[in-house]
Amino acid sequence: MSRRLSIPLITLVLVLAPAWWAWPEGLPPWRSAAIVSGWIAWGLLLASLLLMIREAWLADRLGGLARMYAWHHRLGVLAYFVLLLHPLALALDGWHESPAMAWAELSPGQQGWAEWFGWLALLAMMVGLASALARRLAYRHWRWLHHLFSVSVLLGLAHLLWLGLDAPALWAPLLALAFIFWRVLRADQGWGARPYLVTGVVPAGDAMVEVALRPLGQALDFLPGQFVLAAFFDGPGFRGCGEFHPFTVSGVGPAGRFSLGIKALGDCTRRLQALESGVAARVQGPFGDFLSELAGPQFWLAGGVGVTPFMARLRAGALAQPVHLLYLHRDAGDAAYDDELQALAAQQPLLRLESVTCGAAPPDLSLLLPAAGELAGSDCYLCGPPGMIAAAVRVLAARQVPPARTHFESFDFR
Amino acid sequence: MMRRLFLLATGAFWLAVLAFWLAGRGAGPLPPAQPALPAGGQLWSLAEVAAHAAPEDCWMAIDGQVYDVSAYLPEHPSRPAIIVPWCGREASEAYRTKGKGRSHSLAADQLLATYRIGRLQP
Repeated sequence: MSRRLSIPLITLVLVLAPAWWAWPEGLPPWRSAAIVSGWIAWGLLLASLLLMIREAWLADRLGGLARMYAWHHRLGVLAYFVLLLHPLALALDGWHESPAMAWAELSPGQQGWAEWFGWLALLAMMVGLASALARRLAYRHWRWLHHLFSVSVLLGLAHLLWLGLDAPALWAPLLALAFIFWRVLRADQGWGARPYLVTGVVPAGDAMVEVALRPLGQALDFLPGQFVLAAFFDGPGFRGCGEFHPFTVSGVGPAGRFSLGIKALGDCTRRLQALESGVAARVQGPFGDFLSELAGPQFWLAGGVGVTPFMARLRAGALAQPVHLLYLHRDAGDAAYDDELQALAAQQPLLRLESVTCGAAPPDLSLLLPAAGELAGSDCYLCGPPGMIAAAVRVLAARQVPPARTHFESFDFR
Repeated sequence: MMRRLFLLATGAFWLAVLAFWLAGRGAGPLPPAQPALPAGGQLWSLAEVAAHAAPEDCWMAIDGQVYDVSAYLPEHPSRPAIIVPWCGREASEAYRTKGKGRSHSLAADQLLATYRIGRLQP
């Protein structure tokens, strides 16, 4: 199955199976619409929950974690929209009898526990989605409010049970609960992660450290350009936050050793700046295929900490193709690895390094990016803040770089 | 984009709920189911009710009234195995407890009344 089609096909199966099973025969149109919309919403929710499962093998088959999370968001919102139709269609079914009957179909006060559970499930989803879409909400609050979706699934299960439905109708909510447990236990609780030990921490720039780790058990296999989800725990003089966050691999060593570049971007990563040797960590991954298929001339654009995957590749050995690396940073303190990059450029004749201090304002990429002539035939790899990537994609498209030759990964996992 | 769609859909949903509430409120409360039934109607014996014990021809006796619920069965939210066994039988207790100790709602009472075909012979 093509990785591009995998998620739409799985979604189609998960949506069509319950809708086909519950498809009503000979019912009034709005009653039918109410039943079908309820089951389609369950199918979409199932697909959305499947895509939040964080397993390297699954991400590999479904086109990457970033793609899975993008679909997880899309399908969750779509499930909510379809779910909104369910009570309204029930009310419209009662409308042909009388407006009072239409309201009676909606009003939990005139119905029973089944309707109370249905309404509470919808409200939990509504508040959960409102918080999920609130960009300014602090991560810890966002994370806790995300559990409202689990509450919504439990209430949805109670809704079906109190309506008198049982097997096989309950497979959808039970499967949804299984996906939630899978995610919580394997990813959030770290059951699916491997144990590692911090063996070194060195400053890599302002508010950025490079952390070296060695495996305590079976090691993960990394490639330059990949990222991991890692959680750091307590050490002799360090109190970890224990939350899994994505970090890009900055170097791959022998015997399963590797290093991560960690920039202080939030509460947890700020605390990680004080990380010390001897701290236990759990690591899940590796994820992503950025820089995995390098062939022909390359243009690499790095913004600030976005230089990390390129560092991993340059540290891995001599380049086999010409690379132009444009490294943009706000100031000298923001220029992580700059000295090492200069040294690598001196050693590697195929690497042309351009390190540019841009100041606090967003750089004008139309002035900084190479001309169309140089870009012709090159693959362009971009890593940096979302605003910089969006601007770079626009400029590259204007310079006739085909979309298939522009590569970047999103780390917007909220 | 997603956020805007969410706000739009949620706002439209609550407006629709408000409209149903206003319309339902203007129409007054649902009349109690039993007083709405005509007192008379044909008398049926339990044996006659028992002759209609199939899903496509389903009568039930509930609280002294006889109902032909054949047309409603496909609409019933629970699976057929829960309700079909009560076809052709005295189902008052099952109706009051829904088999799990919970009674049906006022709206269900109102709906049931529309399927009444007579009274059960004492």
